[in-house]
Amino acid sequence: MQTKLNLVRNDDICALSTPVGHSAIAVVRLSGPQSLFILKKLCTKLNQDIVSHKAYLTYAYCDKNEKIDQILVTYFKDQQSYTGESGLEISCHGNPNIVKKILDRLIDLGARLAYPGEFTFRAFINNKIDLVQAEAILALIESQSDSAAKVSLRQLDGQTSDQFKKMESDLIWCLAHIEASIDFSTEGIDIVNDSGLILKLKKLKLQLETLINNFSHGQIIKHGIKVAILGKPNAGKSSLLNICVQSEKAIVTEIAGTTRDVIEAQTQHNGISLLISDTAGLRETSDKVEKIGVHRSIAEIDKSDLNIFVLDSADKIDEQFIKNLNLLKNQKFIIVCNKADLITEIQKTALADEISRAVLNAQDKINSIDNYNNSKKDKIYFSNQILFVSCFESSCRDSLLNFILQQFDNLNFLDEAMVSSARQIEMVKIALDFLNKSIEELEQGLGSEFIAQTLKDAMLAIQKILGHVYDDQILDRVFKEFCLGK
Amino acid sequence: MELNFDIIVVGAGHAGIEACLASARLGLNTLLITTNIERIGYMSCNPSIGGLAKGHMVREIDILGGQMGTAADQSCIQFKRLNESRGPAVRGTRTQNDKHVFSQIQKTAILNQPHLKTIESEVKKLIIKNQICIGVILQDGSEIFALRTVVTTGTFMNGIMHIGLEQTPGGRVGDKASIGLSDQLLNYGFCVQRLKTGTPARLDKKSIDWSKTTPQSGDDKFYPFSYKSKKEFYLPQALCYLSRTSELTHDIIRKNLDKSPMFCGIIEGIGPRYCPSIEDKITRFADKTSHQTFLEPEGLNSDLIYLQGISTSLPADIQDQFLKTIPGLENVKVIRYGYAVEYDYVEPTQIHHHFETRPIKNLFLAGQINGTSGYEEAAAQGFLAGVNAARSVLEKSNIILARDEAYSGVLIDDLVTKGTREPYRMFTSRAEHRLVLREDNTMDRLLERAREIGLVNQSALDQFEIIKQRRTIFHDYLKAQVFYPNAITNQKVADMGSSPLLKPLTAVEFLRRPEIVFKNLEILGIKMDSAEDVTDAVEIEVKYSGYIKKQLEVIRQSKLLENFHIPTELIYENIKGLSREEIDKLNRVLPITIGQAQRISGVNPSAIQAILIYLKGHNLVKF
Repeated sequence: MQTKLNLVRNDDICALSTPVGHSAIAVVRLSGPQSLFILKKLCTKLNQDIVSHKAYLTYAYCDKNEKIDQILVTYFKDQQSYTGESGLEISCHGNPNIVKKILDRLIDLGARLAYPGEFTFRAFINNKIDLVQAEAILALIESQSDSAAKVSLRQLDGQTSDQFKKMESDLIWCLAHIEASIDFSTEGIDIVNDSGLILKLKKLKLQLETLINNFSHGQIIKHGIKVAILGKPNAGKSSLLNICVQSEKAIVTEIAGTTRDVIEAQTQHNGISLLISDTAGLRETSDKVEKIGVHRSIAEIDKSDLNIFVLDSADKIDEQFIKNLNLLKNQKFIIVCNKADLITEIQKTALADEISRAVLNAQDKINSIDNYNNSKKDKIYFSNQILFVSCFESSCRDSLLNFILQQFDNLNFLDEAMVSSARQIEMVKIALDFLNKSIEELEQGLGSEFIAQTLKDAMLAIQKILGHVYDDQILDRVFKEFCLGK
Repeated sequence: MELNFDIIVVGAGHAGIEACLASARLGLNTLLITTNIERIGYMSCNPSIGGLAKGHMVREIDILGGQMGTAADQSCIQFKRLNESRGPAVRGTRTQNDKHVFSQIQKTAILNQPHLKTIESEVKKLIIKNQICIGVILQDGSEIFALRTVVTTGTFMNGIMHIGLEQTPGGRVGDKASIGLSDQLLNYGFCVQRLKTGTPARLDKKSIDWSKTTPQSGDDKFYPFSYKSKKEFYLPQALCYLSRTSELTHDIIRKNLDKSPMFCGIIEGIGPRYCPSIEDKITRFADKTSHQTFLEPEGLNSDLIYLQGISTSLPADIQDQFLKTIPGLENVKVIRYGYAVEYDYVEPTQIHHHFETRPIKNLFLAGQINGTSGYEEAAAQGFLAGVNAARSVLEKSNIILARDEAYSGVLIDDLVTKGTREPYRMFTSRAEHRLVLREDNTMDRLLERAREIGLVNQSALDQFEIIKQRRTIFHDYLKAQVFYPNAITNQKVADMGSSPLLKPLTAVEFLRRPEIVFKNLEILGIKMDSAEDVTDAVEIEVKYSGYIKKQLEVIRQSKLLENFHIPTELIYENIKGLSREEIDKLNRVLPITIGQAQRISGVNPSAIQAILIYLKGHNLVKF
């Protein structure tokens, strides 16, 4: 799309704006400098002065005498349209043949077919919307569910843009103070000190982190949660899958290693879609088929938003447990102890303690092998919460699925500003990286000119989100905020 | 008198001096016309040269063959390196100067310069034939011709001085305004506008009670502006003194604002935001109960004290009243009252990057006439205008310093591209690539340019080359030195407050640790190259190499847009998606490249995109 759009010139573009096929009406849109001229040629019987934003009921003609259809046409004046150029919206009857004739006629009159997204692109070029809004429009059109559409609408009305603009202006404020401390170091002006700056930057950092968290939540709203069930053979993984999806998806027997392949099934809980996969039990095996199954289980770990590590409550915490735990390092996972009906409450507490200790030991081991220069240490993300369930209890499904959703803060975030495009989140992450760096630099007491450069990089990322680019704003701010003398 | 010159320079302020010396030193037959020979190189306002970004420019033109650095070094009575503690890449040099000594040095340089003739007269008019400037008409009606004319009239064009509601024509106390020149420029289609600046009162040294002020001394170590200067002070060093205004001061000023020409609408010109008058300060920052002021001597043998930060245009009696509320000034005697001056300037988007005007060929403008403020900004322009005027006579290519090459390059590009609506002062923050525009690397940046211009003699160039080489050798030496993680070394490292070495590190890697400074390396056995002009630059290059590399990468990328030429035949009106305002701005500036176009304020990124699309669509892309 980008390369085609780069060839766009100052011409008239037209396209069918409603879905292809038979329908009550269809809408054809045209944008460009010749709109009015084309309208008069298309509707030769429309002999009045055309007013912007008024709908005219009239006929469209192929040539002088041959009618195409009765249409309702609205003309939009320069600056007062979606694209910022003058334009037309033609509602005709929803017959593909009629639509084709109208488009053919428009092309005869000098227009050309628009590229996908070109109307919105022109709106951006003509300063009608910023980049976040442009992306929201495209996302809104594509959105498949209510909640996804809500997110896009919020971005379109500028709520997300406003938050970025606020961040931009906060960064400019910080930069103004830093620049003033460099250029006016002898003027005796009041400049906020480093700890004041750090405080402000930490607030910004929190906002960016929230956006990043909300982004993964946003992705979950769009696509659902992907969960993998893992553990030793015969821990009851397949039973849990069957209970979750309320159907006999997986074969359940007492024989360890029954499940050989990954079995996926879908379910919903509290309006959230969950895609759950049952996997082959993890153990050393010489069986050729089972071996492949174990490899596939391990591959599932990476692909999932959350892993459920299932234990048999009667099991001991052994070497295999530690091995499996190591497979889950740097991953989001929960521990579920199945067959809890077979042990006492005291035993449950003891088991929970034993698990916690084992996790701590494993983490210590990882830490000890890390060398000085490796800053990215492996980590076991374990929240210390363990769920005890029994497949024979009716509450099993609800408590397991609630526990899963809890790991995503129950997804009750829809009131906040959200980012939903990959481009935006990439820039947010870049901004956050630079922000973190600048805080570190301030704490180290590095030269102001270097901190300024890091902050400018953070600001550039925010401005790229909006499609703005950095200019003289900082100096202007300096003059507004400070009292200076020669 | 001879009537034909290669180059005429009008005005002998800081811009004019550089222009005529550069031209004469390049061997061109040059005439300097000043209204007052006694006032050649006069410091009309503060007794100080340099400061952040300004000091950088003084060094830049010095390396290229300019004059200001020499005069500033030899008249220095207090020296300071600013941002010494925090801001290694934005250190700036500033001197307090003996005004009399400074202008004597400049006058001597002018009067003894071969190929340069100086006359005292006023230029009434330019002689313009077919949009080409061929000379000037003096007040007595005589005509003098020249191949190029450089006009550096400062604040003198239609200058009006204000003290209270009284107005006197003039560009400076004791000097007449020059009338006629700006009307002529206006007639030739130039956009001429008004600016305002101001200066504080000059006080009698003997009437001040110094015990109520705080003395401020300078640095002991002298880093001269000029490579030609000795590294020791030329003159005894003097003190400045700090005092403060109080609410009492502010009350008097507030009550008398109706007598300030600025506040009752008499002055139309726009003043500098960064150098507001005291009236301005107390109005705009009403919550500040006190403002600092430095009492600066105008010279070792001068009785005048300059009251920094308190410029004013209030009537004399009010100045007397409020000055007496400042500690130390209870019995002060004012020798010259503060005043504001309004003057004409030429909107600088009408000149090219080489300082020749767009409407009139062979006419060059430099200094405050282009809307700048400050001695250093004027000198940098004057120097480059003089060099380019001379080179165009010699049919050599223009010298246009780039934004990533020198502050002087940022200065001219800002003026030409953005214009200015207030007196323009240079700041480090105006330079987007300031990490590579440092004082310590001035030589590295501009050595080739110095060679190209040809004002610096061969032995100095050789000397620069040697320093450059020594820096490279020293840098390579640091790269080759390795510290090993043994008990002795790690004990020393721990004493420096740094974490122990876990593997061998080169001196360069070790120096990048934030807590490590250069002298720590000596403890670890590194032999320092003795000269600071070798080690300073290397230290910064090494310690901040990550930031500097990144800046160089940004420069590389921005060069792509700088090299994207906009064809002169482009008609902006034909491009869809440009606002009327953007079209006007583009037509006024006529940017040469996309890089320049995107720096025009008020031209949005989407407009740049629209221009690029249009150029590509119409096959007008030229690299």
